[in-house]
Amino acid sequence: MNSEKYLRNSVQKGFIFSIVMIFMMMIGFHVVAANLTSKLFGVQVLRGSIPEVVFMAYVHLFFAFIFGWGASDKNRPSKQRVAQGLVTSVTTAAIISLFSLLLVFLVEAQLDIREYLTAFSADYMRYFVLNLGRPGIITLFGIYTVTGLVGTVTALFVQSDRVQQAWNRAKTSVTLFWENANSKMPAWAQKYGKYVIYGGSIIVLLILPVRWGSYLNFVTSVVGLYIIAGIGLNIMVGLSGQLMLGYAAFIAMGAYSMALLNAPTPHGIMLGFWPSLLVGVVMAMIAALILGLPIMRLRGDYLAIVTLGFGEIIRILLRSDLLVDFTGGPRGIHAIQGPTLFGRPFNSSSDFVYLIFFFIALSILIYQRLANSRTGRAWLAINEDSIAAQATGVNLRGYKLLALIIGAAFAGLVGGIAASRNAFTGPNDHSLMVSINVLSLLIVGGMNSIPGIFLGAFALRGLPEILREVETYRQLAFGVLLIVMMLVRPKGLWPSSRPIMENIDKAKVKKAKEKVKKTKRKSKDG
Amino acid sequence: MKVLKKNDRRLKRSSVGKMIRNLFGVLAVLFIIWRLYLVFIVQNNYGPETWTRLLIAGLVIGSVYALIAIGYTLVYGILFMINFAHGEVMMLGSFAGFFVFEATNAINITAADGSVTSLTNAQPVLSIILAFLVGMTFSAMVGFFLEKIAYRPLRKAPRLIPLISAIGASFALQNAALLLFSPQTRNYTNPEFLARGAGWRIMINETAVILPYTGVLTMVLSILLMVGLLLMVKRTRLGKSMRAVAMDKDTAALMGIDVNQTISNTFIISGALAGAAGVMWGLHNGILHYFVGFLPGIKAFTAAVLGGIGNVPGAMLGGMVLGLLEAIGPAALDISFQLKDVIAFVIMIVILVFKPSGILGEVLSEEKV
Repeated sequence: MNSEKYLRNSVQKGFIFSIVMIFMMMIGFHVVAANLTSKLFGVQVLRGSIPEVVFMAYVHLFFAFIFGWGASDKNRPSKQRVAQGLVTSVTTAAIISLFSLLLVFLVEAQLDIREYLTAFSADYMRYFVLNLGRPGIITLFGIYTVTGLVGTVTALFVQSDRVQQAWNRAKTSVTLFWENANSKMPAWAQKYGKYVIYGGSIIVLLILPVRWGSYLNFVTSVVGLYIIAGIGLNIMVGLSGQLMLGYAAFIAMGAYSMALLNAPTPHGIMLGFWPSLLVGVVMAMIAALILGLPIMRLRGDYLAIVTLGFGEIIRILLRSDLLVDFTGGPRGIHAIQGPTLFGRPFNSSSDFVYLIFFFIALSILIYQRLANSRTGRAWLAINEDSIAAQATGVNLRGYKLLALIIGAAFAGLVGGIAASRNAFTGPNDHSLMVSINVLSLLIVGGMNSIPGIFLGAFALRGLPEILREVETYRQLAFGVLLIVMMLVRPKGLWPSSRPIMENIDKAKVKKAKEKVKKTKRKSKDG
Repeated sequence: MKVLKKNDRRLKRSSVGKMIRNLFGVLAVLFIIWRLYLVFIVQNNYGPETWTRLLIAGLVIGSVYALIAIGYTLVYGILFMINFAHGEVMMLGSFAGFFVFEATNAINITAADGSVTSLTNAQPVLSIILAFLVGMTFSAMVGFFLEKIAYRPLRKAPRLIPLISAIGASFALQNAALLLFSPQTRNYTNPEFLARGAGWRIMINETAVILPYTGVLTMVLSILLMVGLLLMVKRTRLGKSMRAVAMDKDTAALMGIDVNQTISNTFIISGALAGAAGVMWGLHNGILHYFVGFLPGIKAFTAAVLGGIGNVPGAMLGGMVLGLLEAIGPAALDISFQLKDVIAFVIMIVILVFKPSGILGEVLSEEKV
């Protein structure tokens, strides 16, 4: 009975693996993966052309190995694990070779189904079976069975007790070495070493933008703007626990304030960058106030969907003919002026990077001061348990509204800077996509944690910009990541240290209490 | 100790928010009255034929919204979560139906008299039934796996977590469709006798108003499906278990109901209804692309809230009302048709702010809202 069950599970796993594989093939991911592999080996591939067959084989080998690795349950005896690996690999291999049989048939019949499934070009289908035609099917079967087994055995070896013990020993020795080195350092280094590292990184950050060239500066400023937006949204979602899906509407407020006040068309007010930025921030805050007052009663999913509706209303209004004379309609507003500081105009791309760095630092400062203040604690209390918070005298509505307004201020800032940096803003810059992007960077990185926000912004915005090949799959990856993060790590990749700190404090308090007890006992005994 | 009276000011909720809410409400009502006065008394541009046409359009789109809204309501009634990806389930069903029609179009059949027609036109009823079956089955499968992968492991989690997962699922399905089927817009190839735009002509004021066949098919089919669903919920064992699980999961489990299976069934049913709605959408509107599920999804959610979320007849009523308001609204208030979608969103916000329990809904406890 038991043996049957674990083998049935492995068959199921094989099905899942092969479906994932087939889906990746259907969205054309394999060519991209082969491209990346060839880049890894230092072979450049021309745009739009297919890399050499070897790299496709590598991709197959890689996936087969991963599948084999994941095939077996950790806590089973090794014989069963090998059996599981074998069953899963054979199932995966069988389904994938059936699929490649279909591909070979499609190629040989010269059926063109690209009209329906875009990825299925004849070249790609042939490439998937390693340009071998029919023998390729058997080759794939072999690859998946053998490599899968190899993966299982490797997993067995790596997860075996002896290797794990050795690994743990290595880890402890490294930490010991590190601690030793730390304690041997002079006292001033122990005390101020942190600040030296901070100062060094600040100097590096100041030098880098000039050396980088405009492309990396562009990526940096996009990531930086998303970091500021993430900090702002974190005040709403992470601290006070109100899920906002209309964050882009506040960004639009800032961007359009900047655009209307600081562009030659349609109004030509030309107020200058700094006053317009201020107006944008204030406008976003006012919008948050107006939106927030009636909806404070709602919470959770209703709040999310109302704010989504608000965001969409703003975007549709900006697109419509109703406001075309006022906001430029769907074509947006061009030639938004950049800032000048002390009479020096910002015209190189690095200037904006500095500006964004400055605002990131400012946002972090404001965020840290807020989060550790009475207000921040009130927000956290509302987030944890709103009824208990209310019972202890927290003004629920007031604090929720405050979170909304302050979060919106950050959005206004981001919008203003982005509009001025791109010298353009239009309704499509403020779609639901933007809100979801900011939300997902927050969730992937970890809520209430500044390093988490940096990590999330870099992983979700920076990496796809640098790895241009995977750019097409970014949105899909966002969606899948949101689900996976919720399933696996709902606290994010770099979670907030606050609960851990509180636990440590509790432990300290416990120790202190025990000490007091002990001394009391001693005094009694004495 | 002084006893607080019921009308004591100290017992009343905080007043500023309420005042502003009510101010908004009064202003909105005044605005609507002013626009209606302008359109109907001052301008009076449109004759009855225009209103009939808009009414028909509203009823058709309303019945599609109603079908999708039922899915939201069923899931919300049981899990208290907004199945954000429901619109995408409908989109995928629409794609499945599209592929069936493409397949039947590709097969040519030589009739007895030697003329060659495609299977779609030779056997129109069969191909339509096939399209609906395939669309509903596919959507039901998507709904089933969606629940199993993205929602079931999170059932005990705080409420925001499944919602975020649902948003992720919506995004993932949308972009999967984008990558699979390309961003290009596709057109449904209807059977000839169901061609879009064809229909009965009704003469009003010596102008012909067309009652399209596809529209009639949509309405009739959705009403049939809705009646069937109501009967199922009221009469069958499955419906009984669904109602029991919606009331109290733990007690239902104690009574021997398989809660997981019931929730899966709910997702299958709502998915199938969304699939039917998707095929109807395709047959009636003809336009299909990966983003087609988003707006109907949100609007159907609005419809579900409008009727009272968790309430099946409410969702039907809400769908119809929303469809009518959306179709007639722009003309009646004399605002541009581009702003059609704004009407739905405004209704959503207004309902959620002023009467979250909707038209037919029971008074929801604070916990649910």
